[in-house]
Order: sequence, then structure tokens, then C-alpha cells
Amino acid sequence: MKKSALDYILKVRLPLALFVILITFALTFYASRAERDGLGYAPEQPIAYSHKLHAGLMEIDCQYCHTGVEKGRHALVPSVNICMNCHAVARKDRPEIIKLTEYYEKGIPVPWKRIHKVPEYAYFNHSVHVNTGIQCETCHGEIREMEVVQQVRSFTMANCLSCHRNPQENLPYLTEVKNGPVNCAACHR
Amino acid sequence: MSDSKINKTKSSDYWKSLKEYYDDPEILKAKANEFQDGVTDDFDPSSMSGLSRRKFLALMTASAALTATACSDYRDKGEIIPYTNRPEGLLPGKPGYYASTINDGNESYGVLVKTREGRPIKVDGNPDHPINKGKINAKIHASLLDLYDPERITDPMKAGRKSDWATVNTEIISKLEAAKTNGKEIAILTNSINSPSSFAVLQKFIEKYPTTKLYSYELHNNANRLNGWKRAYSADSILPAIKWNEAKIILNMDSDFLGREGNTIENSLLFADSRDIMKSDDFNRLYSVEAGMSLTGMNSDYRIRLSAESYYEFVLSLLNEIVVKRNVSAFPVNSQLLSEIQKHSLTNFISKNNLNEGRIYNLVSDLLRNRGKSIVYAGDSCNSDTHYAVILLNEVLENTNIYDFENGFNSVYALSDASELDELVSNLNSGNVTALINFDSNPVFNLTSKGFGSAIENAGTVITFALTPNETSDVSEYVLPINHALESWGDAHTRVGVYSLQQPVINPIFNTREKEAEILTWISGNENKYSQDIFHSFLKANFNTYIGEKINPVAGQDRFWYASLHDGFVKLKPTESQPPVFQQTKLKATGKPSDNVLLQIQPSYFVGDGRYSNNGWLQELPHPVAKVAWDNFAAISPKYAENLGVENNDLIDISYGDISISIPVIIQPGTADNTIIVETGYGRKVCGDVGLEVGFDVNPLIDSSSINPYLVSGVSVSKGNGSYELVSVQEHHAIDDEFVKDIHKKRNIIQEGTLEEYKNHPHFLHEGKHEIFSITDEHEYNDVKWGMSIDLNKCTGCGICTASCSIENNVPVVGKDQVGVGREMSWIRIDRYYSGTPEEPEVSQQPMLCQHCDNAPCENVCPVNATNHSPDGLNQMAYNRCVGTRYCANNCPYKVRRFNFYNFRDHFEDSYYDNELTSLVNNPEVTVRSRGVMEKCTFCVQRIMDSRETAIREGRQLKGSDVTTACQQACPTNAIVFGDTNDAESEVSKYRNHELGYHVLEELNVKPNVTYLAKLRNTHSEDV
Repeated sequence: MKKSALDYILKVRLPLALFVILITFALTFYASRAERDGLGYAPEQPIAYSHKLHAGLMEIDCQYCHTGVEKGRHALVPSVNICMNCHAVARKDRPEIIKLTEYYEKGIPVPWKRIHKVPEYAYFNHSVHVNTGIQCETCHGEIREMEVVQQVRSFTMANCLSCHRNPQENLPYLTEVKNGPVNCAACHR
Repeated sequence: MSDSKINKTKSSDYWKSLKEYYDDPEILKAKANEFQDGVTDDFDPSSMSGLSRRKFLALMTASAALTATACSDYRDKGEIIPYTNRPEGLLPGKPGYYASTINDGNESYGVLVKTREGRPIKVDGNPDHPINKGKINAKIHASLLDLYDPERITDPMKAGRKSDWATVNTEIISKLEAAKTNGKEIAILTNSINSPSSFAVLQKFIEKYPTTKLYSYELHNNANRLNGWKRAYSADSILPAIKWNEAKIILNMDSDFLGREGNTIENSLLFADSRDIMKSDDFNRLYSVEAGMSLTGMNSDYRIRLSAESYYEFVLSLLNEIVVKRNVSAFPVNSQLLSEIQKHSLTNFISKNNLNEGRIYNLVSDLLRNRGKSIVYAGDSCNSDTHYAVILLNEVLENTNIYDFENGFNSVYALSDASELDELVSNLNSGNVTALINFDSNPVFNLTSKGFGSAIENAGTVITFALTPNETSDVSEYVLPINHALESWGDAHTRVGVYSLQQPVINPIFNTREKEAEILTWISGNENKYSQDIFHSFLKANFNTYIGEKINPVAGQDRFWYASLHDGFVKLKPTESQPPVFQQTKLKATGKPSDNVLLQIQPSYFVGDGRYSNNGWLQELPHPVAKVAWDNFAAISPKYAENLGVENNDLIDISYGDISISIPVIIQPGTADNTIIVETGYGRKVCGDVGLEVGFDVNPLIDSSSINPYLVSGVSVSKGNGSYELVSVQEHHAIDDEFVKDIHKKRNIIQEGTLEEYKNHPHFLHEGKHEIFSITDEHEYNDVKWGMSIDLNKCTGCGICTASCSIENNVPVVGKDQVGVGREMSWIRIDRYYSGTPEEPEVSQQPMLCQHCDNAPCENVCPVNATNHSPDGLNQMAYNRCVGTRYCANNCPYKVRRFNFYNFRDHFEDSYYDNELTSLVNNPEVTVRSRGVMEKCTFCVQRIMDSRETAIREGRQLKGSDVTTACQQACPTNAIVFGDTNDAESEVSKYRNHELGYHVLEELNVKPNVTYLAKLRNTHSEDV
């Protein structure tokens, strides 16, 4: 039988093309995984606040600033008056503090860049996790060592479920820990 | 260059190139040919570049896409903007609750407003309020939407154009001053005044402008009741509330006290209290005498169908039977009354009206047996003579201890009577009124029959306070936008023993003001005196004089004010007073019932007299009896329909005097013959888009000489032209249709019995039922397992659960067209079934919601596992997994799943509710569903999760009683109980294991988790 042009296209060019496309897709998919999940996302903040200094060096408790984390869904980004508890006096001459004071005195809210975000249509609640004894670092990484905060774990459903299904391994510091709920309504409603 | 070229003489004046200029042979050749060399050569693709344009573009696109995927930077996740100074006690993500008060007509309800991040998202009853005890009616639930109504008036208007407060106030003040100097009348027209502080403001205004006259009207009012009461007792005696819970026998004369008359919430609570099988099997017995089927009529043990003109005669016949024949009376009845009573005989009355003799005599003996423990209650529609006769009957039967004077009705300012309103109209017409101030009232729509529409044109200046545009604001020179109740300060004193406070929970969204604040500004005579605080400080001062000084609190007035504000009300000590003494006067003999066709005009259950017309939630709540949404209609009896030759949806023409209107018909089982029942509040001509021209305006038919609209005698009715499509959420079929007749009883959807049957045979319901077994292993629920029970003895079918559920769960408004094709989205509905004859139907009602079946048939058929079961027994629905096959809805035996055929938010009335303002009403704890997904009742999973969060925080186990669902919270009779069925001690388990508990369609073995308690009718054994 005579080989037609169609044979050539179907047997050689098409598989080749598909192969190239798949490889490219797979490679880029894995290569861009971190960015898509926001891993390593460390945006520039309006005020160059250092967690390393405050939480690491000075050992200020997370909840001194991030209030409400035990009581409700959000770990609040501190309102400026909390910063001013100290900075009304401390380090008033530094440029970043001058910036901060300006925000406070003019009553302009500080537009902090959001770093951590749970996917849409999922209802995450800080208080149930914190009150179970889960440490902030488990999800947010070693904040105490970060000059600029960045995301270190992906906030995907797979990542949530890996811990909910196997907390004993993921949260070794909790001696008595039950599996987290894995039913839909636990997060989606 | 060649010689020839040099010698060339110019051959043309114009040239393109030197070559041409010199007549180069190449150019000459080119000129001879039309196309250049090669242009017409054969096309050979292979000789061209391998990179075609298509390929180039494809490559470019692919590489652009790949670059975009591979090299894109992180996605921006937006900003988090904290408070600069976070208010104390406000935690973002956590709701705040504020006690306040909202008025509905002449009733005021204590409410608890839930706010999130400073915006109100739910209004519920204030559980501590002594009258409404944590429950409110559907109108107040839905009033939240009015706050976010996109068509609210945002700025003061002058002659239809946007103006500003300074301009309008300066002009108004100068006009008022002119009226004062010229001695011309300033008329203030308001609905009923519930607020002592508003009244004090108006009084101050009258002091400042002495030519002011204050008129107060309510389209549907209790003027007849008050007249009857004042005749029977003294003019200043308090109109009492009724202790429905203490009455064993209730004879209701056309008063829809459970549905739309008086404080329906208080009435329902007390009424259902003595229908609680868990407390006692000593139920009350309700007899209802009425012409049109009402919510109360549907809940009666006995319903006596009677024409409205015969009520008076019926009461007198009863009096004759009791006082004269049986010689029972607490006191000697005077001769004048006796002679009137003796004219009526019960036997004659029964035969004349074709009533069931046994039933009426049972009523008489019930009343006699329960002297002191029964009540006869006449409705607002009865004339004052009937009211007087009913009071006499109660006195004769010694029923006065059922009156509750401590919670009696307080009138801050009495409603104007018919003559006063007529005087206003004639003053307007004669041009004596130089300024008419409509104090948030809509007389042009409500008082059409009094000719208000034309009279208002003769007023000097019309000033109208309004929230949304209405018929009156449309003809007003100045339209002043007012704050919504949730943006206003205020108070209410509608009950003798309770004073309620109203506080704003949000700053005014638009450039609006409290109407009292405006009046105060006018009194001050200077626009600059206005401040947002002006009425607040007035209220506080007035509170001190009105309440504070009487109570003389130990902690000081200031702390007392804040404490009262926190509670939302102040309970006042009852004044020591003797119950009023009955005065025997005489009864005016009212005319004999005519053969006239009677028109009964009732307020709409949900949009009232039209003041709630622009509220989609209320328009879409189905009528509790007819189940029609988005319209009003004429309800007539099957026999009368046959006489007229009309069927459902056919138009009839109703004429009275020279007014005639066309309105579609609903054939309503149980309606008296020759009677037409219509509802007001529809057919608005100027309104927001939601209520605009929805239904038919029946106000013109109101008898203009009467103070209330209830009864119009002698209308003429004829079949009209064509028909009009009414939409209803339950199909309308003839109730004697063989196929569907009593299907709810044959299929055991409704299981009922009588109280007597139950007392003799507590297990009667489950006798003859066999054990249903499963062929598969049962799933075990080790922890909490959620379940609900609904006591059908207590459920009145009012529909408030539907309203509350829709608000809590972001259920969209779909509009009339979509309800017409069965796409309403309510997660809980009230099914209404008739049995018996079309003339004397027996009505059964049943709230129907997702049953959260253990063996849920919907779960098995979902191809993407979007609906499945949770370990705590919830049938859960993951919206973002749903692909919209609708298999689950097909497989649901209860038909409770709802599908988003559109993105209903942008579908209804050209995206009416799809805007930034209205989206603030959404509950942030619940996903706003979009097109193409299925949804259904979740057992308020967001509330379960909230309670779980609290339990974890407090380090304890979650208890079933921690969770209250939205329907349960709203149910005015506490018919709904929710909790943990694994906990044997929980209330829901007790209901579940009760002898009367049953599951709907239990033979399917889907194992529903909603238990219904069978309704027991408290009828006489001989009737069974």
C-alpha cells in the first residue's frame, strides 16, 4: 500500500507534536508549581517590618499583635494602635517608624500586602487550629527567622488534607491529637 | 548614459522616476504589461518559506502562553487593611449583636440585630423581650433588605431634582413661618405613632407652629374594636392583650390573630403553648367563624364558614342560647340588651345559615363547661356592635380573667377617626392647608378612596419623608429621604408594661436623616442647628423624663440609659388598678344580612398595606393559604365561581359605585358564598422596580365613609375579559380530583389523629406498621448526629421560617417568571394539603426541608460526589464540586433540592439585587451560589461550625443544644427543635422517640433525620 501524506502526519508528526506539547506542559507545570501555590511569595510591604527582629530577637509573642486568633476565624493583622503601644516612644527617629507614625496620625489604614490566602470557597478558622494546640509555625514557617515574611507551605486542599488525615506525623509536638475532619462541610458551606 | 537617452525629448509632463523620464525600455515594457513580472506566475507553496503566517501565529501564541505560565510572577493576593484604631469589642470575623426595636404598624417588636464588620446581616427577635420573646414576623426579618434597597432615595429632592439639606430646610422653614403668620393650617399626616419621643417632637413642633394639626391613620386598624371596648368599659380603659395560653376554648370571630391581626407573634407563642404535647395533652380548642380562609382558620379544630354580615347575628344567637335559654349569666342582663338578644334564636340561625347543628351546640356546651377559661374574640373587621356583643358574651361567661391588662395596649397618640380624615381632605380641597407633611406615610396610595390623590394637589406645599419613592413622594415638592430603622434612634411604647428602645447599628449609608431630627431642625428655625446627634440627645432627655424619673434608678440616670439601651427595653411596673367595670348599654340593631355580594378587604400577609412592596423577599414568600406569590387575587368559593362561570386565573370585574377593577380569581376552598376576599398592598404605581405594578390595586374599592376597609357590601361582580397568570408554589387542582384526592393521607405524608384517640390509644399512629429492615449494613454515627423535629401541633404555617432561612443562607429572589416555572429557591417551604369537601375543607400543613436522610437517595446518583454524607449525619453539598447534572433533585423523594438555573442575582429584574450595596446583605459565612449548581438546606452548617469552634475554644464536647438553626430561631411557636439525636437526653431525641413521631415516606427506608409529630385535632369524639 502506498504511503500517503496523511499516514505521515498521523504516525509521525502528530505524536511528535503531542509529545513535545505534553513535555513542555509537564515541565512548566512542575517548574511553576511554587509560584502558582505562592511558595516563596514575599511581596514588598508598605512598611519594612521585620518579624525576625520583633518575634525572633525580641521574642514578642505572636498574639500580642495578631489578636483574636484564639477567638475567631482571623488572625488579625494588627491595627496601627497596637504598633503605637511601643512606637509612640520607641525608635521614633527611624524612617520606617516615621512612616508608621504618619499612617497613624493621619488615620490612614496601612495597606499590607496579603501573603497567605486559603482558596476561594473554603472557610478556614484560625481559632479551632490554635486552640487545638497547633503552632503558628506549622503552616506559616519559621516566621521568627524571616526578615521579610514569605509563604513557605502551599495552602491547597491537598496540603490541608495531608495534615487532617495524618496529624500524628505532621504535628509531632502534639502528643494526643485526633484526625481532623475530612468531610466537605468541614471547610465548604 | 547612452546618446539616445541624452537626446530624449520630454514625452510627458509628469514622471515617477528618472528612468521613466528618460523612457527606459524596461519601463516602457512594464507600462505595456498590466502586472509585474512573476505576479501571474503559478503559485507554488513548496518554494515559499516553511514558516507560514498560521504557523507563525500558532507558535507565537503557544510560546506566549508557555511564557505566561512558566515565567509569571506570583499572583497578587490583594491587601489586608486593618483598622488604624480598632474599636474595642469589635473583632473582625466575629458578629456583634445589638438590641433594638422595629415597628410594624401599631405593633413594635424587640429585635436583636446581628452585624458583621459593622453591617447588619440579620434581624432576629430579642430573646429577652417580654412580649415577642425572641421571635419576629416575616416583615421585620425582611426589613433588612430595605436598608440595602438600591432604589432608596439618597438625597433630598426638590421638585423632582436632587437638592441639598441646607436649601430645602431653609425654604421649608420660611414656608412654615409664613403659614404661622398667615394662620394657615400645617397638616402632619403620619401612620400610627408608637414612639413617645417622636410624639414629643411633634408636640414641640405644634407649640412652635400652633396652626399645625396632627393626623394619624392606619389603613387596617382596630377602630371598631376600640369603639366596642370603650362602649363596654370607660373611654380611658386599657385595651387588654389576651392570655391565649390560659383559654381552653377559643371562639374566634373572623380575627386572623395568628396571621395578620394584632401582635401575631405574641398570639402564636401563647396559642401554641397550650398545644404542646410534651407539656400536657390538655389542648385548647379553637373554633373559627370566618368568611374567607385565613391562617387562623386553617389552624382551627372547627371552622365555621359564615358570611361576614352574619357575625353579629351569630353572637347574639349564642347570647340568646346561653343567657335566655340556658339561663347562664354572671350578672343580670339589662332589659334593653335582653330585648335585642331575644330577637335572635340559635336554632333559627343554624337552619338559616345551613350550619352543622351538632358542631354549634358543641360550641355552646364547650363555652358553658369552660366558663372563666374560654375566650370569644372578634376580629378588627367586625363592627363595633359585634365587638360589644362579644365583650358581653365574655362577661356573661366570666372570661374576663383571660384579659391581660398588664401587657395591655398603650396608645401614644390615638388614630384619627373617619371624620377627622374627611376634614383633612376637605381642608386640602378648599386650599386651607398650606403645608402638608407626610411623616413617612403614603396617603395617596392608602387613602385613594377618600380622594386623597386629587386633594393633595390643592395643598400649598407637600413635604414627604420617605425611604423609597412612593405615590405620595411622587407628587410632593420636597422629598426628604429618611434613615432606615436600623440607622435610626427611637423608642416605642405600644404595651403598657414595656418601653422599648431603638438604636442605630450602622451610620446612614446615604445622605439621609431621621425624620424627627428634621422636625427638630425646623423647630430650631436654623439649618445649622442640625447635627446627626440632635434626635439622639432629645431621645435621651425624653427617656429620662418619660421613664427614668418614674423608675428613679439607683445607679443614676446615665447608667440606666446605657443598661436599657443594652437590653433594648425597660419593663415597667404594672400600675395598681382595678379591672374595668362592664357597663350595660344597648345594642344598635344592625340591619338584617342582605343578599348582597360582600367584598372583604384584608391586608396582605407579607407586604401589608403596601409599605413592604419593594421587598423581593416578602413578595416571593407564598401566601400562607393560597400559596400564590408575587400577586394578589380575588379568593372566591367554588360554588360562587361556578355561578360566575370562572376558573382559576380568570379575571373578574368588581364594581362599587363608579369604580371598577379587574382582578384574577383563585378558587379558595372554604370561602363563604357570595363573598370575595381581596388583599391590599399590591398594584403600586410608584415604587421601586420590585413592587411596581405587582398585582392589583384594590384600594379604590374601599368604602370611603368607613374608617377601615374591611367590608364593602353590595359590590357588583361579573366575569371579566380574559385571564391573568398567577404563580403559585403549590399546584392548584380541584381538591376532589380522584387522582390527587387525599394523596397526602394515602401516602402517609400527613399523619394525623384526634386528641381523644391519642388519649385512649397513645400508640395509635404506629399500630399496624411493620418493622422496616435494611439489606445493607447501617453506617455508625459515634459522635454527634444532627436531627430535627417539627411539631405539627404547634406549626401554624406562617412561613416565617422560610423568610429567616432565606436571609441566613443567601437564598436569592428569583422573580415571578421563575416561580411560575417552579424555580423558587427557598430551602424550607410549607406544604399545604386540603382534605374533606371544597366547602368545608380540613387543612394540613407541613414544613418541608432537606431530611438529611441516612440513606440519602440523592447521594448515590451524584456522578461527581458533590453531595455526600458527613460523619455527623449531614447530607452535605459541595457547591464547587457540583457540575449541575440535577440527578440528585430527580432522585429526591421530598423535592427539596433547588437548582440555580441562572445566576439568580443578576437574573432577577435585570440584576436588581446585583449591586455593591445589596451584596452587603449577604451572610459572609455562607457561599453565594452561582449558576449551574444545586443547593438545599444544610441544617445551617455555618452555625454548627460556629458552635463547634466555641466548644473547641472552651475545651468541651459539642452539645446538640449549642446549635440553633435559622428556622428554629424564627419559629414563633417553637415548633422546630434541632439537636443531637445520639444524645438520649436531648430534646430532639425525646421528640424522635415520641409516640406521635413519624417520618415522611418512611417506607422508602431512606431514614430521614427530620421527625414530624403528628397533628392531633382537638375535636369531639362524635365527630370522628
